[in-house]
Amino acid sequence: MTAAENGALRGRRESSRLPVGVLLLVLLPLLLMPLAAVFVFALKGGPGAFWDAIRSPEAQFALRFSLLIAFATTAVNTVLGTFTAYVLSKHRFWGDRALGVVVNLPVAIPTVVVGTSLLLLWGPIGLLGKLLVPIGLQPMFRPFGVLLAHLFVTFPYMLGAVKPVLDELETTYEEAAYTIGASRWTTFRLVLLPALRGGLTTGALLTFAHSLGEFGATVMVSGNLRLKTQTAPLYIFAQFEAGDIAHANALAAVLALLSFAIFFFLFQFASRATRERAR
Amino acid sequence: MLLQSRVVRRRARTAGLFAGGIALFAYALWPWTPMAKEGRPPRTIVFYGFSILGEAINKGVFPDFQRRWREARGEHIELVSSFAGSGTITNQVILGVPAHLALLSLELDADKLAEAGVLRSGSWKSFPFQGVVNRTPFVILVRPGNPKGIHGFADLGRPGVRVVHPDPMTSGGANWAIVAEYGAGARNAADPASAGHAMLLGVWKNVVAQAASARAARTQFENGFGDALVTYEQEAIFDLSRGKLEGEVVYPRSTVLSEHTLVRVERNVSRRDRDLVDAFAAFLFSEEAQQIFVRYGFRSVLEPLNAANPAFGAIEDPFRIGDVGGWKRAKREIVEDVWKKRVLEEIKK
Repeated sequence: MTAAENGALRGRRESSRLPVGVLLLVLLPLLLMPLAAVFVFALKGGPGAFWDAIRSPEAQFALRFSLLIAFATTAVNTVLGTFTAYVLSKHRFWGDRALGVVVNLPVAIPTVVVGTSLLLLWGPIGLLGKLLVPIGLQPMFRPFGVLLAHLFVTFPYMLGAVKPVLDELETTYEEAAYTIGASRWTTFRLVLLPALRGGLTTGALLTFAHSLGEFGATVMVSGNLRLKTQTAPLYIFAQFEAGDIAHANALAAVLALLSFAIFFFLFQFASRATRERAR
Repeated sequence: MLLQSRVVRRRARTAGLFAGGIALFAYALWPWTPMAKEGRPPRTIVFYGFSILGEAINKGVFPDFQRRWREARGEHIELVSSFAGSGTITNQVILGVPAHLALLSLELDADKLAEAGVLRSGSWKSFPFQGVVNRTPFVILVRPGNPKGIHGFADLGRPGVRVVHPDPMTSGGANWAIVAEYGAGARNAADPASAGHAMLLGVWKNVVAQAASARAARTQFENGFGDALVTYEQEAIFDLSRGKLEGEVVYPRSTVLSEHTLVRVERNVSRRDRDLVDAFAAFLFSEEAQQIFVRYGFRSVLEPLNAANPAFGAIEDPFRIGDVGGWKRAKREIVEDVWKKRVLEEIKK
């Protein structure tokens, strides 16, 4: 993204067409054709069949459930991620480096491992889950368990979008605000927050997109109950496994379209942010 | 001018993002809003089943039960269900999924649940037919016209035959298939143990793909993988009858009839739902439900009903798990000792 932007800023260099051709030849079977296949298959039975597949109660539930989880994940992680970024960026304390590494760990941990570890903590046989059973609480295999998994997996995205902006922001504005008697909260609200708008949008969109497509951790903690805890990716997988490719593909096409839309906005906001920073 | 249009474009983008977000949110939340609610939520039965049961339960048996319940009690009920390999389901139930009833593809998985303390040992035997809801023999599915000339398990061992097989670690069906293959070799042989071993070794040398469940194995075969698939007769004839699968069913001379065991997970059934769960469990063994199973390609435990499905093929020498000493023994002596410890090691060489 930034490389492309830099190229655009410097002005495109007209040169041999060969590298472009080679690139297209590689990307076609690697990225473009698989995506096209989803849509070709989805519309194979005609728009009527596609519409019916989308309208089945299970598919509708899965899509809605996925969206709600994505909204909730985004809301929680926007607040939590921004707060983490603020603390890590503006405060020096013992162990701050280590904490900075820990909060970024979810990027590197396989999502299946996240699912397993959540089960081993909160599940009925888990470390804490065991204590919850007698009082009738059971977060796993419930929507709340899915939310926990998504919060874990998408945690670093908001942080990664907001923290660099906070790091770069000159402290003079803040100091100026403090000297005229603004409280910490007022300073955050009136000085820092406006500067963070771009980062917040990018972070929220990234979190949303990842939550919408999350599979590995969700499949472990959801119990995969249709009409109860089955998210859209789980629905697609279940239908495909059951050989019902038409239903799987219809929802896959919808998810793909949604992520295209999210990516479109992401790209727009990201390019604006770089433009503003370049100015 | 330029600046102005840029500002306008930026505003439009932000507005578009907000409008899109709000529309999506409204769509997602709609069923839970007061406008869409129709009274209190209905009672539900949570049903876990092994992979091939999906259609028979979701489209056949449950809708019928739902209609009868509404006619008799005036109450609308719902079914929440999940279908996967029998081993997968067993592990999920042990981990605590809220299943009321689970229909497992083999009694061994019920034993596993009992060992984990989820069920009282043997509690499923108080259901009719010792908890066996239906049966289906193990068959071989081959490509149209049977180009490789496969007529029994022995033919699967011939060079150049590529076999698709479910994975015995997660699939109950795969365990049945191993017993079927071993039994087909061992029965009526002068030296049963070595004949059974030879049969298993032959088949497994040619296994090119293992899927997590019988259903997933079929999907692989359907997508053009392999020459032969070892699977439940139900799976094969039900799909053939709907024109979903191209191929031919080959009935081995000797094969096993799998028996599928129903268990009730006591700890998940609240007092409020007990009558409903019990009624559904009893319904599964009723003549009405058994007829539906037969329509979906399962062989009924009520033998006379099986005449209703002309697709059921004749098997010269069928056997049951009881004939090889029950599942505990079969698992130890056939699956563990012969297949896992000997055959798997030998095909690595």
